[in-house]
Amino acid sequence: MPELFVPESLDDAVAFLAAHVGSALPVAGGTDVLIDARVGRTSPEWLVDLTLLRSLADTQLAGEVLRLGGLATIRSLELDPELARRAAALVEAARVLGSVQIRTMATVGGNLCHATPSAEMPPALLVHDAVAEVAGPGGERSLPLGELFAGPGRTTLDPGELLTAVSLRVPAASAGSCYLRQTVRWSMDLAGVGVAASVEVDGTTVTRARIALGAVAPVPLLVDAAADAVVGTECSAADAEEAGARAAAACSPITDARGTAEYRRQVVAVLVPRALHISWLRATGSWPAGVPAPINGVLPRDAA
Amino acid sequence: MRFDLTVNGDPYRREAAPDVTLLSFLRDVLGLTGTKWGCMTGDCGACTVLLDGEPVVSCLQLAQQVRGRAVTTVEGLEREGELGAVQAAFVSNGAAQCGFCTPGMIVAAEALLRRNPSPTEAEIREALSGNLCRCTGYNKIVDAVLEAAQAPAEAT
Repeated sequence: MPELFVPESLDDAVAFLAAHVGSALPVAGGTDVLIDARVGRTSPEWLVDLTLLRSLADTQLAGEVLRLGGLATIRSLELDPELARRAAALVEAARVLGSVQIRTMATVGGNLCHATPSAEMPPALLVHDAVAEVAGPGGERSLPLGELFAGPGRTTLDPGELLTAVSLRVPAASAGSCYLRQTVRWSMDLAGVGVAASVEVDGTTVTRARIALGAVAPVPLLVDAAADAVVGTECSAADAEEAGARAAAACSPITDARGTAEYRRQVVAVLVPRALHISWLRATGSWPAGVPAPINGVLPRDAA
Repeated sequence: MRFDLTVNGDPYRREAAPDVTLLSFLRDVLGLTGTKWGCMTGDCGACTVLLDGEPVVSCLQLAQQVRGRAVTTVEGLEREGELGAVQAAFVSNGAAQCGFCTPGMIVAAEALLRRNPSPTEAEIREALSGNLCRCTGYNKIVDAVLEAAQAPAEAT
């Protein structure tokens, strides 16, 4: 098992990681990193413990921009009432990740940088136009979150770089978002399909929309062609279904223990319209503020 | 490397190798064997403890990462030699069979009740969904937590 390095500043952390490329891994909550090392998926000589870098846990809201520190825990998102009103997708994604214990430990930065295709945070952040902030030996830079993911378990970060924060757009009014997922079990399971949507409206007409998918491609997908299907509409059932069909066509799922490729494609076509509808209800003020959606998006009146 | 931490209210300064988990530290260094060694992948919840009052799985927490923080194990939930409300409710409801999951269940339930003193059954099931029991079918566990929630609030 690896040695532990405990930097007291971000500069120290970056310098150490840059000096130990290939042999050091950052660790925060440890819920992925320790398991990977224990089962031999990774074999680092050093773990760089980020937990003293408390400033990376800060969450700040300034106007329409929310900045989540990389060390912000998933549990902190789940319990944030302001986020529940303004970035419901994020809270809905947070509350289904792992268990209370895992969410208390796991961090936003870890969930993103582990780059699991089925991870909950990426789709929910992508529909809020998230930008990743990165610090590395060459200084700081930022990139659209979608450009962070290179493939299963791989990011585009350069050696020595750390994700320090994610900034996202959270309009205070006339906007809504939603995260839904399909799983075999209700808890302690990875998404078979994860779907996030966001819409902004002028009155009842959609002026801007985003749809993002998890677990149905090697990387989380932002599917603009699907979102375009509802822009300029009042998000009718037919409009939302067209978006679902386009999203299903755009993804490239695999067959594994959580479902066949064809099943996943069909689930995308079903969950995308539900996520859009709930987002539109929120944007038009027709959904009770702060109340999460059923995780499969089935509303009581639909279930009859 | 020596580090300081508090366990069940008592301060400790101890050494731990970098790869020692909080779970191993509690059991093998401090002799607090109430916390159980289960899956070692964070899935079963048998090793749940409170870290600064919030529930974590101690199998995925390095001991050295707990420097300066406060840990509460199932042993720390008794009050002056008497069982705490959740512990007592598990006994009176027969909420344990083999008992292996019980300490983790009790600690996770304690965390829930500290945050939400009057949870619904659905909230209890959600809060305990990271704790596996292979004996009871969960019903008596849920009953125990419901009963503990109705018990007079303890001074904590």
